[in-house]
Amino acid sequence: MSVMTQTGTAGAGAAAPVPVLKRPSPYPGWFFLPAAIIYGLLFLLPTVASLYFSLTRWTLFNSTFIGLDNFAQFLREPFLIKGLINTVIYAVVTSGLKVVLGLLLAVLLTSQIAARGYLRSVVFFPVLVSTVGVGITFTVLMHPTNGMINEGLAMLGIKGPGWLTNPSLALYSVALVDVWKGVGLATVIYIAGIVAIPKDYYEAARIDGATKLQNFFYVTLPLCRPATVTVIILSFIGGLRTFDLIWAMTRGGPGFASDTVASVIYKQYQAGFYGLSTAGNVVLFALIAVLVVPLTMLLNRREGHE
Amino acid sequence: MAGLELKSLHKSYGNVEVIKGVDLTVEHGEFVVFVGPSGCGKSTLLRMIAGLEDITGGELWIGEVLCNGVEPRDRGIAMVFQNYALYPHMTVYDNVGFGLKLAKTPKDVRDAKIREAARILQMEHLLERKPSQLSGGQRQRVAIGRAIVRKPEVFLFDEPLSNLDAALRVETRMEIAKLHHDLGATMIYVTHDQVEAMTLADKIVVLNGGVVQQVGAPIELYQRPANLFVAGFIGSPKMNFVSVTVEAVSAGRVAVAGKDMASIAIPARTDGLKPGDTVTLGIRPHDLSEESGGAIVGRVALVERLGNETIISMQLPSEASWLVVLDGDHNLSIGQNLALSFEPDRAVIFDADGTARHPDLD
Amino acid sequence: MSLVRKYGLSVLAILVSAVVFLIPFAFIIMMAFKDRTQAQLLDFSWPQGFHLWTNIVEVVTTRNWMLLTAFINSSILTVASVTLLVIFAAMVGFVLQRRKTRFNGLIEFFILAGLMIPPAVVPTIWLLQGIGLFGKLHGLILVEVAYGLPFSILLYRAFIATIPRELDEAAIIDGARPFDVFFRVILPLLWPVTVTNIVVQSVAIFNDFTNPLYYLPGNANATVQLTLYNFQSQFNTSYNLLFTNIALITIPPLVVFLFFNRQIVAGMTAGAVKG
Repeated sequence: MSVMTQTGTAGAGAAAPVPVLKRPSPYPGWFFLPAAIIYGLLFLLPTVASLYFSLTRWTLFNSTFIGLDNFAQFLREPFLIKGLINTVIYAVVTSGLKVVLGLLLAVLLTSQIAARGYLRSVVFFPVLVSTVGVGITFTVLMHPTNGMINEGLAMLGIKGPGWLTNPSLALYSVALVDVWKGVGLATVIYIAGIVAIPKDYYEAARIDGATKLQNFFYVTLPLCRPATVTVIILSFIGGLRTFDLIWAMTRGGPGFASDTVASVIYKQYQAGFYGLSTAGNVVLFALIAVLVVPLTMLLNRREGHE
Repeated sequence: MAGLELKSLHKSYGNVEVIKGVDLTVEHGEFVVFVGPSGCGKSTLLRMIAGLEDITGGELWIGEVLCNGVEPRDRGIAMVFQNYALYPHMTVYDNVGFGLKLAKTPKDVRDAKIREAARILQMEHLLERKPSQLSGGQRQRVAIGRAIVRKPEVFLFDEPLSNLDAALRVETRMEIAKLHHDLGATMIYVTHDQVEAMTLADKIVVLNGGVVQQVGAPIELYQRPANLFVAGFIGSPKMNFVSVTVEAVSAGRVAVAGKDMASIAIPARTDGLKPGDTVTLGIRPHDLSEESGGAIVGRVALVERLGNETIISMQLPSEASWLVVLDGDHNLSIGQNLALSFEPDRAVIFDADGTARHPDLD
Repeated sequence: MSLVRKYGLSVLAILVSAVVFLIPFAFIIMMAFKDRTQAQLLDFSWPQGFHLWTNIVEVVTTRNWMLLTAFINSSILTVASVTLLVIFAAMVGFVLQRRKTRFNGLIEFFILAGLMIPPAVVPTIWLLQGIGLFGKLHGLILVEVAYGLPFSILLYRAFIATIPRELDEAAIIDGARPFDVFFRVILPLLWPVTVTNIVVQSVAIFNDFTNPLYYLPGNANATVQLTLYNFQSQFNTSYNLLFTNIALITIPPLVVFLFFNRQIVAGMTAGAVKG
């Protein structure tokens, strides 16, 4: 097209009309190709397919269209609803604790404290350790009678609860372990945010006579807001999707007390209810979209006003 | 060596036209400088010649080849960038030799060429260093070496001195001039610094808003600027302008006067001028001299005494602000009145549309 | 006064961190040293006798050297996935950052989607079966690449934005074709962020439990995380072996941590903040 019009205009003036040759970009589009194929085939295609298969009774070999039955079942069966609610609780608890503890740890670890390097390492290391390993270890530590945690509490004269055996506690116990493992990441993100705050602000605040507490609330907290947004979004999505820790520690038990959508998906898959399992996937996807997108917009909009 | 021919070159980004039809001939071995304010399109034009930007319309000939669709590597050009653009992970030796390596030049030939370039630029002792271990001037030298080694038909320089400090800039400028003399190559050089343009160029191309304002030898641009823009852009300090009215037109002369200036007859092209027309008079700060009873009287607003000359900022009755450069030291006080005169043939008359009315040369 | 307060806080922080973060690891190690009977007690006690070596031998040789096979599988999985990730993500990051087209918005949308959307598990299994890669190590490798791409692309794109475009142009003038510009000029300059990418993704893939669980079933090609899962039920009564296993699979991340602490922290924070 462009070649045609070019010859047209050039031909009007010049003696020898010359088509303007379009040279290939030095940044070739085929560089996208390997990634696009792998990503498109193994991530996008299944995601799109899940929208269909979630509407079917499915054996992997043939599928029967059953409309919204799977979703109806999800909202009818108490243990499936329980999973849905648990997922949200888990995400809120873990991300909330990670924000608070991560920020406090980061403030502590950027202050003039001794053994800073050691403390940072110790807090961060669990991030790199196998989740299943952590889960198994804490399952043992949280053993109601022989577990170290309750033995420790007993020494202080407290009778520890059945961390993982008490149905109303199990989910929170797993969430605590999640925080134990993940708070290091929140901390380093906050540290990066705090370190990036120019010293001028603290000096200006000092000249204005701010106390340490005022420093924290009026300088540190507002200025490391991007870090807060990151920590919230990251740990919230992570919390909604969590599977391996729950599976390693409780398998969703006792009963369905600590089931999440992700563990339900696996259970239904194991049981051969592929359509239902896939519907679980779509539910989880919807849950993330419904919660995270507005959350992101809310957090980023408030940021814009500052 | 080869010349260049630009025929009605156009460049647009979407609907925004940044180069609006440039025609230009560059002779073999000529040193041409593109100069203009930032955003005038001078770098874009250079990058179109280099092949880093597509040409939207028109023709680009390098030597006998129409280059619109030719890859940069096949255009016979080399380019020196503003920020040197040395490959940080390669030694100086590999930086200079990278192009030859890509062209699959045999190792011994390559080595000889690299060492030759290093010898010309006196940087043999730097060959094993990484760019990060070099000073700014040394980096620019390596960048030039990388260009030399390609034995290009045309050298392209994109503001190569703007990141150097003042002293080094003068030194490197002289080296580039010497290099041009020694190699006899065609060079196209982009700068916003008119001193670089005036000292280096055989031919200056003044660009503004994607349009060529004037092409000519440096001194020609200084003495006979084609329009108000060139007059104001070339020369430092800037030419003074004042709005005046034509009082009388005679053979080869126009008598003008205004609020700021008593009547004076200026040599100019007179066709189409009639008494009562409003024109602009331009006079360079260096061409003014102190003379009681001079045509122009203003109030001294600021005095800068440099010893060898005195720069005076003056307020004219019409609130126009002029600069005056007087030879030698003058002890003037702020607020005093100063009368100035000038040789009529040093002044330039501009039409309302900005075109200069130079008198015809004999 | 302030000296006391300063050291008081430090001492408190060290004590609390030791109780909260070190004791669980100490527990793992001590369990790995114990014999079966003592481990059975699950208490935080000093090992009676040195049983680490016999525990290791037993864990490694159990079930026909399954742990060794798993280590080999996990190594292949990690090395292959990370290699592909690095090259493909760098290529995308490069062109995405350099070339502004109307598709960029769409590509960025897919990247963000990849970071947020949970993978659709069963359809992926269905697809892998369709192309004959279900239960195969190279199938899992491709899956890990697909899931890791968005994060790695973001890391690369952010870093490439700091490399001046003039460098590409200098190479183009020097006669480099697009392939040369990328592989001979840009890719070597990406080394710092490549190290970060390698470290972060290796840890993630080596520690991955969920994807091997779904896409690589069967003991023959178990990965290390799955051995733990398998042993958990098998060694219900052999906690010493279970914890020896945990200790063994914690060694690779520990090594990475000791040598690349800085890069990994930089990568996780940079990627996170930009993502």
